Amino acid sequence: MFKSKFFIGCMVSIIFAGMSSPGFSQLAPEVQLGARGVISFNLDDLSNNNSSQVNDFSDTSLLIGFGQKLYSSYRGQLVIGFQFPDADSDLGQVYFHQVFMKIEDKTNILKIGRSRVRSSLIEFPTLRDDDAIYFTDVLNPFSSGENTEESQYGNVFELAHIFRQRYRLRIHGEHFTETPVPPATAETDFDINSLGISFDYCVPESQQWNRNILNQIGIGFNSFRTDRPGYSGEADRALKNITFSTILNLKPDPVHFWDLRHQNIYNMGFGEVNQVRTYNDMTRAKSISSFTSLRYLYRKLERPATQLSASFGYKAFPDLSNSAGQQQYVINGFYRIGSNFDAGMQVQHSKFEGDLKDILGRSELRVQFALVFSVNMLWNNQFDSRDSLLNLEHGYIP
Amino acid sequence: MDRREFLAASAAMSATALFPSTLLAESSKKENSSRFSKPLLHKMDGDVKEFQLFIDIHQQEIAPAFKIHTLAFNNQVPGPEIRVNKDDKIRVLFKNKTELNHTIHWHGIHVPWRMDGVPFVNQMPVMPGQEFVYEFVAKPYGTHFYHCHWGTLLHMQSGMYGSLIVEDHDDPIKKKFPYEREYTLLYSAHDVNFIRNELNAMLERMKERMYLMSNGRFDKERFAVFDTKEELEKAVHHGYQPPYLVNRRAPSELPQPNWFTVNGKSYPSTPNLLIKEGENIRVRLINAGTENHALHLHGHDFWLVCDDGIPVPQPWQMNTVRLSPGKTIDIIIEGNNRGIWTFHDHDTRRVTNNGLYPGGNLLALVYEDMPIEEAETNMMAKKMGLKSLPIVALDE
Repeated sequence: MFKSKFFIGCMVSIIFAGMSSPGFSQLAPEVQLGARGVISFNLDDLSNNNSSQVNDFSDTSLLIGFGQKLYSSYRGQLVIGFQFPDADSDLGQVYFHQVFMKIEDKTNILKIGRSRVRSSLIEFPTLRDDDAIYFTDVLNPFSSGENTEESQYGNVFELAHIFRQRYRLRIHGEHFTETPVPPATAETDFDINSLGISFDYCVPESQQWNRNILNQIGIGFNSFRTDRPGYSGEADRALKNITFSTILNLKPDPVHFWDLRHQNIYNMGFGEVNQVRTYNDMTRAKSISSFTSLRYLYRKLERPATQLSASFGYKAFPDLSNSAGQQQYVINGFYRIGSNFDAGMQVQHSKFEGDLKDILGRSELRVQFALVFSVNMLWNNQFDSRDSLLNLEHGYIP
Repeated sequence: MDRREFLAASAAMSATALFPSTLLAESSKKENSSRFSKPLLHKMDGDVKEFQLFIDIHQQEIAPAFKIHTLAFNNQVPGPEIRVNKDDKIRVLFKNKTELNHTIHWHGIHVPWRMDGVPFVNQMPVMPGQEFVYEFVAKPYGTHFYHCHWGTLLHMQSGMYGSLIVEDHDDPIKKKFPYEREYTLLYSAHDVNFIRNELNAMLERMKERMYLMSNGRFDKERFAVFDTKEELEKAVHHGYQPPYLVNRRAPSELPQPNWFTVNGKSYPSTPNLLIKEGENIRVRLINAGTENHALHLHGHDFWLVCDDGIPVPQPWQMNTVRLSPGKTIDIIIEGNNRGIWTFHDHDTRRVTNNGLYPGGNLLALVYEDMPIEEAETNMMAKKMGLKSLPIVALDE
C-alpha cells in the first residue's frame, strides 16, 4: 500500500512536472480585486427596553478573481472571497462567502462552488445586504437563523443561458447550510437540498443610459428538499417559494435619477405549521412578503454624489392560528466624500405582530452612522466583458 | 524546340505547379493588393472634387483569429486613400455615425484655419449623427495623411487615419527616379486593452451626455470646457474638480502598445512590396501611431527622397530610416538585388504580436520575376508539405 501511494504520488509529480516544463511559461491571468468596507456605529433600541451601541464592521469583504481565456470561445474564472460576518454570529472572525469557479461564453454561464444563492432576484439599497433579509430573501429553512449568511450563501451549481442579450434563464441547485451544526464540527453532508429556476429580463448595466423605464423584471421558483415529518414523497416534502421582482426607472435622468424596486416572495409553506415559535417555523409557515424601495440618486460630473432611499417591507403569515406579521421601514442617505468613499446614515425600524411579537419583541429601532468604501480593480486586462457596450452594440468578440 | 526553350517551358510548367500557394501566384498578388488602402472615389461638383467619408465602429481582424473593435473611416482601417492633384479644390463630406465625437485633421495640408480639425480651436466637435463639410485646396504636393483630432490618443490608435496623397503632373521624384508602381504604408501601434476600455468608457459617457444635451442641460463643467483659463480657475475656486484630478477616464495608465500594424494588419497579414529587377518603386511611409520606427530593408540601400511630403534637396541612400510619430517619408527602392527581402522595424519589439516574435511590422520586398527554383525549400520543409520561401512563421 505504501508503494502504491508512493507510485501515485510520483505519477502526479511527473504529470505536473511535464506541464510546467521550461518551454511553456504560464500565461498570466486577468486579476480582479473587489473590496468593500462597511464600518458603522449602531445605536439599537429594542422593545424590551434594551439598548446597545455597537461598532460594526460586518459585511466588510474582499474578493479576488483570476480570469483566463480558454482554448475556445469560453472564459474561465476562479473567485475567492471572504467577509466579516455579523457581530453576533457564530461563524468566527471571517467567513469565506465566495469560493467558486465559473466558465462562460457569450450566452452561457456555469458556476460551481460557494457563492450567493438565488434567494433573491434583485438588490435593494440598504447599508448592508442583510438589513431587510426577512423580506428580501427566501429564507434558508435548514438554518437555525443565527447567521443571516446562511440564507445568502451556499454551495451552488448554476447554469444560466442568456438570449437576446437581456433575457436570462437560470437553473440552479444549492446546498444550503444546515444548522444547528456547531462550526467546530463542520458539515459532512453537502448534497443538493434545494433546486430552483428563474427567468428574468434585465438591461445590462452598461446600457443603463439607454434610459429604459423597465430595467428588470423576473420570476423565480425555489424548492427546498426538506425532511418534513410525516411525509415521504419528494413533492410533499418540498418547501416551495415563488419570487417576483421588478426594477423601474421612474425618472431615467443621468443627473436626478429615480428608481423603484419591488419584490414579492410567496412561501407556500407547510399546512401543519400553524404557529411560529422558532425561526424554523417561520421559514416553513405559509407567508407572503413584499419589499419596495424608492431611490433617488444625484450624479454630479458623471459620478454618484448623493443617494437617498426609503424602503418599506411587509410580511404576513395568513395561515397561523394567531396571525403574525412584521413590517420594516428603512430610510438611508449616503454622500460621496471622495473616490470610492461614502459617508452615510440609516434608520431602520421593525415592528412585529402576533406570534412574532412573542419571539422577537414588539419593535426594534436601529440607527447607523457609516463609512463605506468600495473598489473594483482589474489588472492584466485581456478581454472584454459580455455586457460591454462594444460587445452588446457592435458585435461580440470572444 | 531547342534546349533553352525546353528549359524555359519546363520552368513555366513548374512555376504553375509550385506557385499557386506562394506570394507570386496570381491569387496571392490579388490578395496582396487588397492589403493596401482602397482609393476613395470622388464626384465632380463643378471644379470641386467631392469625397464622402463617414466614421463608424468596425471589427478589424489585425491578424488571423485576432479581432478588435476599431473606429474606421468608411469601414476600413486605414481609411480610404484620398489621391488628388496639387491645387485641386477639395470638399469632404464627413458624417459621424458613431456615438462619439470626432473631427478630421488634414496632416501636412495647408488648409484654411477653420478646416484644420482641432476641436475647440478651429471648430466644434462633430457630434453623434452630425455632418461637417471640409473644403480646402490640395497643397502642398506630397505624402500626407488625415486623422481624427478628438480624443487623439484613443481615436488614432483605434484606426482613425488614412493617407492623403497630393500629386503633381511634374513630379520631381518621378523625374529623378522614374517609377511606375508605388505603395503606401501606414504604420500604427495599438494597446488593444486601452482601446477597448477607453472606447467602452467613452461610449457610456456619451450616452449620458447626449441625453443631457437633448434636454439642453449640458453645461461647461460637465463638458469640461471653458471660455478662458480664468473661467476655469474661478470654477475651481467654487469647488469644480478638473478631470485630471479625479481621473474621470479609465484606465489611468498611459497605453502600452502590444500590437503593431502596417495598413491595419500585423504579420502575417501585412502587405508585401512587389518589384521586378531593374524597376524602381516608390514607397510612401506614414507613421499614424505613437511609436518610433526604425525601418530596415535587407539587401538594398534605398533613397530617401521626401520628408513630410517635401522633396529633399539631395536624396541620400540608407538601409534604415527613422519614422517618428506623425512623419511621412518617401523612399525609392531600386530593384537591383533579386530575391525575397525582409523589410521590418529594427526596434524588434515592434515585430511582435502580443509579445510574441515574429509579428507586427514585418513585410517582404518580393521580386516578382524571380525564378521559382531560387525560392525552393529544403528536404525537411518539403516533407512537412511546405512549398517554397517565404514561409509564414509564427514562432521562433
